[in-house]
Amino acid sequence: MRATLLPNVPLPSAMSIDHLSFADAVQRAAPSVVTIISESISKEPRYKRQNTVQELGSGVIMSSDGYILTNYHVINNSDQIMVLLTDGRRYFDVQLIGFDTITDLALLKINVEHLPVIPISERFSPRVGDVVLAIGNPLNLGQTITQGIISATGKQKITDSPYNSLLQMDAAINVGNSGGALVNSNGDLVGITSAQFKTRENLDIQGIFFAVPYSLAKEVMDKLIRHGRVVRGYLGFTGTAVDSTGKEVSDNYTPVAGLRITNLDPLGPAWQAGIKEQDIVVKIAGENVTNPQKTLNIIGNSEPGHEIEFELYRNAKVLKVMVKVAELETKL
Amino acid sequence: MKMKLSLISAAMLSASLLLTPAVSMAKMPIAVNGQQLPTLAPMLEQITPGVVSIQVSGSKEVRRRADPLDFFFGNPQPRSQKREFSGLGSGVIIDAKEGYVVTNNHVIQDAEKMLVTLEDGREYEAKKIGSDKESDIALLKIDAEDLVAVKLANSDQLRVGDFAVAIGNPFGLSHTVTSGIISAMGRSGLNIEGYEDFIQTDAAINQGNSGGALVNLNGELIGINTAILGASGGNVGIGFAIPSNMMKNLVDQIIEHGEVRRGSLGISGRPLDAGLAKAQQLDVKQGAYVMQVMDDSAASEAGIKAGDVIISIDGSEISGFHELRSKIATLGEGRKVKLGIYRDGKVQTVKVTLDGASALTAAGDELHPAFQGATLENTQKNGNKGVEVTTVDPRSPAARVGLEEGDVVMQVNRQRVETISDMNKIIENTKGNIVLGVQRGRESVFVLIQ
Repeated sequence: MRATLLPNVPLPSAMSIDHLSFADAVQRAAPSVVTIISESISKEPRYKRQNTVQELGSGVIMSSDGYILTNYHVINNSDQIMVLLTDGRRYFDVQLIGFDTITDLALLKINVEHLPVIPISERFSPRVGDVVLAIGNPLNLGQTITQGIISATGKQKITDSPYNSLLQMDAAINVGNSGGALVNSNGDLVGITSAQFKTRENLDIQGIFFAVPYSLAKEVMDKLIRHGRVVRGYLGFTGTAVDSTGKEVSDNYTPVAGLRITNLDPLGPAWQAGIKEQDIVVKIAGENVTNPQKTLNIIGNSEPGHEIEFELYRNAKVLKVMVKVAELETKL
Repeated sequence: MKMKLSLISAAMLSASLLLTPAVSMAKMPIAVNGQQLPTLAPMLEQITPGVVSIQVSGSKEVRRRADPLDFFFGNPQPRSQKREFSGLGSGVIIDAKEGYVVTNNHVIQDAEKMLVTLEDGREYEAKKIGSDKESDIALLKIDAEDLVAVKLANSDQLRVGDFAVAIGNPFGLSHTVTSGIISAMGRSGLNIEGYEDFIQTDAAINQGNSGGALVNLNGELIGINTAILGASGGNVGIGFAIPSNMMKNLVDQIIEHGEVRRGSLGISGRPLDAGLAKAQQLDVKQGAYVMQVMDDSAASEAGIKAGDVIISIDGSEISGFHELRSKIATLGEGRKVKLGIYRDGKVQTVKVTLDGASALTAAGDELHPAFQGATLENTQKNGNKGVEVTTVDPRSPAARVGLEEGDVVMQVNRQRVETISDMNKIIENTKGNIVLGVQRGRESVFVLIQ
């Protein structure tokens, strides 16, 4: 009798308050998150004794035969890398397959079979508001799970490279979480947790953290497996987005019609091809320039040595220019 | 016509009377676009009256910092002086009839006056029933009517990833509710307390939350919020709570004896790690590896042997030796427990009645203030009895006087000591300097305490 009086919208079983827990997601993902200890031995000749410094980080097992993604800054100084699994196994013969400083990712390999692989859902694309769990080993406490939501996607101005597009989240991460997993409420990999927001004034900022999205991490990983490094094309110009009347676009609503060249790298590929400042690029490799991010990806993914066709406006005339792609040099 | 109308309203009234309890059972009355959203409000309305603010005041001895001028002009002022202090914390009502309020020991330590403020604004002066410094639990009592108690959950059944809600009085902002998940279970080795077996959570806990409630989504108490890690003193998403089961054990002892009577097994050991398991060809992944069993102890009576791995207490798995030690100590003297033991590839269960700990282990500061931060345990090495220093907090007075982990105290002031009670007798009768004769590895060293 009473049951008929209940509101007739049924509760989804996952939302029922008695079963509301991420324990199942944690169980799926947690075994694939490892602790990484990177040891560096100082060779300062002034000190007789060797000084060993250990740094702590986390990593994510990406394949059952031992590929592990982590942050570059976790292992950048290391002379020896140690990988600790959650079941207590530890490995000292860790191979560094490659790294990419722009996305701050590094790929390690241990020679073990049948490792627990992080669950991956190719259909999942992160949206602002999605619940995420960060898994790692902060402050060497041991494996820790923290919860939050995705606060923003596609954050590019955090690092100085446009090729790094980060997820912002509010799940707390601390020193030692770097390189760990960010998973969704099913336990599927969303990203590699990497950074905490810190200002120069040392303000105490909490609740602003960043992760490299899985799609970007996967791209970098595939390139590292194939080439040992990430090769990006370089054309040597910077530009601002303009609309069809040539006015600068400063919001997200006005359709972009082209890129006005604002700066040229002297002797760079674009300069050598005869492109000048104030030219407006409307097509690159046959594709209309309507999305600066997409254009950037075309350039980044172009192979050094190949030529790309540029279509540009100069003095109300359309020109076609071939530009020979160079390789983007990355600072270490 | 009129008749009909009143009938309808009566029907509606009875329907709504029936409806009210049913809706509150569903707990999620808010719906957006036909989909109901989870909210904690109905649960919180029921239990926040069970969480209280605690204001304390008193005075404590503080060491005056050494003034460099004292070297030249002598020391006219006393080295320590009394200083007034006041503090804020939280507490949880666990027994409405008796007025029992549980909080952290560090909230009320040295307090001369404790003022408990309920959610409805009523204020009561609290009486301390008892407290335990090493596990950081204290029990207070208030004489008040119409209290609301928070029900206890079985904290052994928690899983990493479960939701957790913290209620407390951070920075004096009373009844602040924060939510998060359980980040880890059975955390120990943090050197915050003498006995640690924490629930770790990312629900924001700050100063003043200490002693407050950590509850599950049903509003049942799963822990007492106790500590945080963070460089700046603020929350960084790493907070620790004493599990409700451990708290219950301690509170039961405080109610019964007025103090905590620690339990003891009479073993020494270490956590089982992968290396040890491989070397000993053990087929278990985690547990407490028994290295030594004391004569005439609870463990020896139960037939536990060196080389055994203790893997569970009363059916709940343990991750390492620290967790076992904390659980045994807080279960209390005389308690009967079932231990799961791995021996020769087989798992068996043994029943043990726990000894009192005072005889076998002690926290350092129970003997002398200079031992604060160390734990002591009776031991037997190569047939020689002595008192082993089992843990030393690196920033404690014990570390400053030069005690190290693994030291075995053999002599005090040139008198042979075999047990903690021997040591205690000599130290109690000594005024002035104490010299410890310590076996450190193969060396004999002396530690001077001034």
